[in-house]
Amino acid sequence: MFLALKELKHGKLRFTMIGLIIILIAWLVFILSGLGNGLSTLSAATIKNWEAEHVVYENGAGATFSKSLLSQSLQSKIEAQPGVEEVAPFSQSVIAILPIDGVAEGEDKVDAALLGIEAGSFLHPEVIEGKAVDPKIKNGVVANITLKNTNGYEIGDSVAIDGSELNAEIIGFVKNETFNHLPSLFANMDFVREYKYSAPGSNNGVEDAINAFAILGKDVDAAQIEKEVDGVEVVTKSAAINGMPGYTAENGTIMMMLVFLIVISAFVIAVFFYVLTIQKTQQFGVMKAIGASNGFIAKAIVSQVFVLSFFSILLGIGLTYLTAMVFPEEMPFNLDPVLVIIYGIVLLVISVGSSLFSVRRISKIDPLTALGRVE
Amino acid sequence: MTLSMKNVSKVYKEGDSQIIALDQVSMEVASGEFVAIIGPSGSGKSTFLSIAGALLKPSQGEVKIDNKDISKIKDKELSNLRLQEIGFILQTSNLMPYLNVLDNLLLLKKMSGKVTKQDIAFAKELLKELGLGSKFEKFPNELSGGERQRVAIARSFMNDSSLILADEPTASLDTNRANEVVSLISKEVKARGKAAIMVTHDERMLAYCDRVYRMEDGKLTLQ
Repeated sequence: MFLALKELKHGKLRFTMIGLIIILIAWLVFILSGLGNGLSTLSAATIKNWEAEHVVYENGAGATFSKSLLSQSLQSKIEAQPGVEEVAPFSQSVIAILPIDGVAEGEDKVDAALLGIEAGSFLHPEVIEGKAVDPKIKNGVVANITLKNTNGYEIGDSVAIDGSELNAEIIGFVKNETFNHLPSLFANMDFVREYKYSAPGSNNGVEDAINAFAILGKDVDAAQIEKEVDGVEVVTKSAAINGMPGYTAENGTIMMMLVFLIVISAFVIAVFFYVLTIQKTQQFGVMKAIGASNGFIAKAIVSQVFVLSFFSILLGIGLTYLTAMVFPEEMPFNLDPVLVIIYGIVLLVISVGSSLFSVRRISKIDPLTALGRVE
Repeated sequence: MTLSMKNVSKVYKEGDSQIIALDQVSMEVASGEFVAIIGPSGSGKSTFLSIAGALLKPSQGEVKIDNKDISKIKDKELSNLRLQEIGFILQTSNLMPYLNVLDNLLLLKKMSGKVTKQDIAFAKELLKELGLGSKFEKFPNELSGGERQRVAIARSFMNDSSLILADEPTASLDTNRANEVVSLISKEVKARGKAAIMVTHDERMLAYCDRVYRMEDGKLTLQ
């Protein structure tokens, strides 16, 4: 530590530059992870918010809501299975909404996800403004708050659903509810059915059609339900999230960028410290000649890299939070403190680990170099 | 005897041929003695110094530093032997550039553990004796060549080791500075009862030494 700190203090410019590289790398890693996290939240926040442990789909749907069509009549049979505490039907549809008197100049229709639930079901998120979904207000919908903040809709507004004769009335708002990257719009199951299956035959002949059931219950045996109830597949909630269209691909892309970034940064950092070490070969030779052990020098190098990386990564985190503050609100950026800590530790381990190359090099320096004339 | 070498040889293999860098060299240096070795370059002076300084092991013969046989010591422990028993005064620019004068001395104490108040006091005393009383906080690049070499002398005495080895300590100094540096080494060696060997090209400096050896083609002869 003694040598490490003294040298850091003496070579401010050199170490500031290396520190800057680490700060930039850390910054990039955290921004990417924030974006990845934000995107995946946007993609499936509503499902992630569910308390449910399992989701029931039509057999062959591959854990995708849009491919699954079930009859609500199966509910009682599923409820009867061991371990099942509660069952809630769920239905979804992508819609576009517009003000009832038409789109004004300079405005756009708004894409949204129409999600059918039963009033009072555990799938209904907490309302932050207005009322919850109510069977007495058949066309009442509860919207994600972005519809108010970004698009200017208010409670009591009537909206037309594009491509149909139905009108909905906004009766409440919830927050952080998105589905397929779209703001969620919770509605009565009957209302959704009326919109979705208005054309004859569009429900494949299934009575009381819904898309899936969410199951509450810690000790649910998925295989048992599949056996007892015909034509269904039961998956865990995380499988249901992965089944959201585009979710895996999106996450995979971000993860791959992160992995590459981390691998590349490992090389960059290792090379920097290696070059720095080679420049000091003569110095280390002298230290060895006057009696320094390899361990003493190794400690000096590793602690120097540790101090430098630790503070650079901290600065990188600070910079990331500052950047997050200036990002526009619509930007899907969501920093998870747990992820920040994990990636911070990964970066730290990588830089300290990469300095071990330099340590290996030093252990091979011959103290005879100190005499300046190796024979 | 602080340093005792008996029939020491060092042979380097170069392809099929052998180069005899040291040929049956014997020498003894007692504490309080200041010995010089002169000779043309390539005569084996560096090899001699490397072996006497426990940086190299001989091919043949026996080397004892403070009655410890270096051929019986493991490589890993040699660095500790160098730290405790040998003080090196190397050629120019061998101070740590990012440590100030005082820290350069204390570095040796750091290598073997903690720095105590006594160590700091001793380092300051040494530096004062060598005329560096006002330069504790200076960095090597703020010192003249002679001052740097005096710091190196102070460093070689820091661990109170029994053997001092000086490798061309006057290499880049003018006559006045060179005289000053060598007389200081001589003074400290006598005052502290150390055994010292100086390898040099500089025949002007021999007056300070008790004995002078000449090295030629790996053979050592007393002059």
